[in-house]
Amino acid sequence: MAIAMNRLGAKSNTGEGGEDPARFVPLPNGDSKNSYIKQVASARFGVTSHYLVNARELQIKMAQGAKPGEGGQLPGHKVDENIAKFRYATPGVQLISPPPHHDIYSIEDLAQLIFDLKNSNPDAAVSVKLVSEVGVGTIAAGVAKAHADKVLISGDSGGTGASPLSSIKYAGVPWELGLAETHQTLVLNDLRGRIRVETDGQMKTGRDVAIATLLGAEEFGFATAPLIVEGCIMMRKCHLNTCPVGIATQDPALRKKFAGQPEHIVNFFFFVAEELRQIMARLGFRTINEMVGRVDKLKVHKAIDHWKAKGLDLTPLLQTPDVGPEIPRYCVQKQDHGLTDVLDNKLIELCNPALEKKDKVTLDLPIRNVNRTTGTMLSSRVAKQYGLEGLPEDTITIKFSGSAGQSFGAFLSRGITLILEGESNDYLGKGLSGGKIIVFPPKQALYAPEETILIGNTSLYGGTQGEAYCYGMAGERFAVRNSGVRAVVEGTGDHGCEYMTGGVVVVLGQTGRNFAAGMSGGVAFVLNEFDKFQSRCNFGMVELEKVKSADDKKTLHQMITSHFMHTGSRNAKRILDSWDSMLPKFEKVMPVDYKRVLEERKKKKAAASK
Amino acid sequence: MGDIKGFMKYAREGPKRKPVELRVLDWKEMYEPISEDKLKAQGARCMDCGVPFCQGNTGCPVVNLIPDWNDLVYRGRWKDALKALHTTNNFPEFTGRLCPAPCEGACVLGINEDPVSIRIIEWNVVDRGFNEGYVEPMPPVINTGKTVAIVGSGPSGMAAAQQLARAGHSVTLFEKSDRIGGLLRYGIPDFKMEKWVIDRRLEQMKAEGVEFKTGVTIGKDITGEQLRAQFDAVGLTMGAEQARELPILGRELKGVHLAMEYLTQQNKRTAGISVTDEPITAKGKRVVIIGGGDTGSDCLGTAHRQGCIEAHQFELLPEPPPTRASSTPWPLWPMQLRTSHAHEEGCDRQWSVSTTKLTGHNGQVTKLHGNRVKFEGGKFTAIPNSDFEMDADLVLLAMGFTGPVKNGLLDSLGVKYDARGAVVADEHFMTNLDGVFAGGDTKRGASLIVWAIAEGRKMAAGIDKYLQTGKSSKKSAS
Repeated sequence: MAIAMNRLGAKSNTGEGGEDPARFVPLPNGDSKNSYIKQVASARFGVTSHYLVNARELQIKMAQGAKPGEGGQLPGHKVDENIAKFRYATPGVQLISPPPHHDIYSIEDLAQLIFDLKNSNPDAAVSVKLVSEVGVGTIAAGVAKAHADKVLISGDSGGTGASPLSSIKYAGVPWELGLAETHQTLVLNDLRGRIRVETDGQMKTGRDVAIATLLGAEEFGFATAPLIVEGCIMMRKCHLNTCPVGIATQDPALRKKFAGQPEHIVNFFFFVAEELRQIMARLGFRTINEMVGRVDKLKVHKAIDHWKAKGLDLTPLLQTPDVGPEIPRYCVQKQDHGLTDVLDNKLIELCNPALEKKDKVTLDLPIRNVNRTTGTMLSSRVAKQYGLEGLPEDTITIKFSGSAGQSFGAFLSRGITLILEGESNDYLGKGLSGGKIIVFPPKQALYAPEETILIGNTSLYGGTQGEAYCYGMAGERFAVRNSGVRAVVEGTGDHGCEYMTGGVVVVLGQTGRNFAAGMSGGVAFVLNEFDKFQSRCNFGMVELEKVKSADDKKTLHQMITSHFMHTGSRNAKRILDSWDSMLPKFEKVMPVDYKRVLEERKKKKAAASK
Repeated sequence: MGDIKGFMKYAREGPKRKPVELRVLDWKEMYEPISEDKLKAQGARCMDCGVPFCQGNTGCPVVNLIPDWNDLVYRGRWKDALKALHTTNNFPEFTGRLCPAPCEGACVLGINEDPVSIRIIEWNVVDRGFNEGYVEPMPPVINTGKTVAIVGSGPSGMAAAQQLARAGHSVTLFEKSDRIGGLLRYGIPDFKMEKWVIDRRLEQMKAEGVEFKTGVTIGKDITGEQLRAQFDAVGLTMGAEQARELPILGRELKGVHLAMEYLTQQNKRTAGISVTDEPITAKGKRVVIIGGGDTGSDCLGTAHRQGCIEAHQFELLPEPPPTRASSTPWPLWPMQLRTSHAHEEGCDRQWSVSTTKLTGHNGQVTKLHGNRVKFEGGKFTAIPNSDFEMDADLVLLAMGFTGPVKNGLLDSLGVKYDARGAVVADEHFMTNLDGVFAGGDTKRGASLIVWAIAEGRKMAAGIDKYLQTGKSSKKSAS
């Protein structure tokens, strides 16, 4: 599908599961499997700096049209080696997509994520996927003001065969309703000229596209129809891994049966375009832009006599907003993302020797809380040039002093170390992609760092690789959805390590409530000096153990030692000094499923070596 | 669907036919029984598709609940499977033995694997049901006092009669021949279906209240108008018995027969009924069958069992491809070369052959003259210098049927015909005459047994609705 879309100059979408980096490289025959749109969903699977920098559009999926408000999960038996690799997870362990984005609780947070993504790839457009519903116009206006380049209004009738029947049947609203409202609201508020509008939800024909255009869209999403073109026969077995035509399955024997060709999709879209062209010719339109929002060309079908259609009044959908001709009705200008003022411009300039020649660069700079998303654009340069591997460790070391703004070190690439003497706002190390972040309080600070929150909420959200050390407490949702970062922190707020699937987290003090909720992978070591942890841990998916194995002891000791070396934590020193008496006070938080899979693999390995 | 990976574990399997040398020795059904374990595995191959194309508009005409009973068979719930089967199909024992199985042509597994052996499962479900005594009469709980005449007792008429009787109407099923069953009785050779299979079903129908009247030709013994005046509704399910003729020189020679004349005689003989007409037999003869379809294949099997010395089968159309032709993609009924049991028994099969002339001695056919043809743009043209002639003692014409026999009942009633000569009926299966309905081959033109059953059921529903609204053909009969 990606090949077909690239041939057509259209856009394929990765979905939320990440993408094989091998696809970023064009094929010898000139085709490309690289998806134009790369999705950033709540679980942030495989969202690395390298992934982001290879996109041409980044899509924030707020919800799914077919099942708004619901998360998702990939059952363990579908998580094979490949999927696990690209999602930074463990094969055989189920993966949960939480319903919300943990870094979006307000429209300002969304604006921040848009800004983060724009920094992670300044060349890519950022789009926001919303779900058709009453009031979506207001949200879309907010999205436009938050500087998204595109808003997507997703309808109710799509969705995979894996969705529960109750969601397929009863959740969501048709795209027509949301699209009309969105377009009208955007025009009324003079925002339509700044943002493109896309819609989807069982688009199949040129007529669908024509209606969507007349209701106010200039981009159109297709999924089911091209899938059918490729051979999908609506088995509704996507969740069982037994798709007999090799589409929705990881089973190699079944995948061999896939008979689709890019040409099929190319052909299909030619037909759609031709039908659209015919309709446009009949209506007297030359371009899509002329056609956008021309609801005056739509008429309500009189012959519909379904009892549910009785009393249905569609005139609000077919309203032309009462605004002057100076107000644009389709996208005519680019958003101002404000990237010119970002601190990273300076960093990139100063780090040029490292970027060009891999020379070591060490900087010492002040930082203020207006400096948001620091280090991200620099990381995008590293990822662009050096790929997933990044630079050798500590090639770039930047020491900041002061209060960092939000998203400090977001998507930080390998080879970059950010040291912060001071404190940070929310979202520190979001999507950490191999870099290292060290935070400690100013030398002159009078407070006890062990009891003071030094980094804000939702740090290390969706991190895939790298290290983080904080001589201070973290806010809420520390290391949520972490899938590979190794972090040491003095204490955490509520919901620490939520939905974590990988990596190691060491907490040298108290945690908040609901620790390890939905945690399906990775390990956390928590120092339980005051015996309060049992009541604060969520045992839905994990169990507690003592640190017994030599490997675990070594890991823990090493991480605490590093923590001390980097931050000078007195607490770490205290623990290391009386290691033998402190070690029994550590609890190892171990996801039950993860443990089972690890043991099975160990056995297999042992059997194989025999 | 008990085993979600069943289709990956098990290969398609059906019952084996008895060895050729043995089976041509008698007229018995030619299949070996299949074990229960094997049947369960075959049931496990069903994938319980989200969209079961086997039940779609290119699949089963009676919309059998195929995924349901496949699963029930896999779980060994034979009685439930039979119940599910009987909800859509009155006579699974006929279709299980004889249906070409459009369901299997539309089976989703058939896209890239061998389809599920649906027909064999159906067959075994119902035969097992009879053996275990699960098949019981379902007499009506009420009597509506309405009377219905069904003319023609093939599968369509039988299905209509059974449905209507169960609905509480008094049904009389008329048959011009001496036994009920139509082409099932005298068209289908015993080696494909032994006739006790029909009889045991007739027992059930009798117990449900269907009255059988054999040896009555409507239009001759009783006129159509009399029938309309006597019954509240009339259903015409008299098949499409008008055979396609071969109007060539020598057609009138002895030894040149329509397939149905030939097959009927042998079926009667097998049933132990004396044949008074001049006997037609292939014993010791060189047989040529003209027409490459199922009827031709039945003639071939019959000729082998009668002891022909050689057999040829000629088809006008070109040889189809060995696998599904690209012109009939899934889920359509696949156009492809089919080798029947009779072909296994031995045959010189030829395609693109046109028979031009028959010649003989003393009025008895001895030679067939023909040529090769090309099929282009919907027309056959003779290939130059491809003429041939060959010896033939028995020439059987199995070239299909053109529609119902009009001369007689249909013409006298005054029903309307469509361009292809079949009787026109509305969506409730009523013809242009009030209270006179038509279904099966009479309405569709020659087709499958399963279509006959489907149409018989639908016609019955139309008749039932008609009667429920208090109408009667008696009122409009002159």
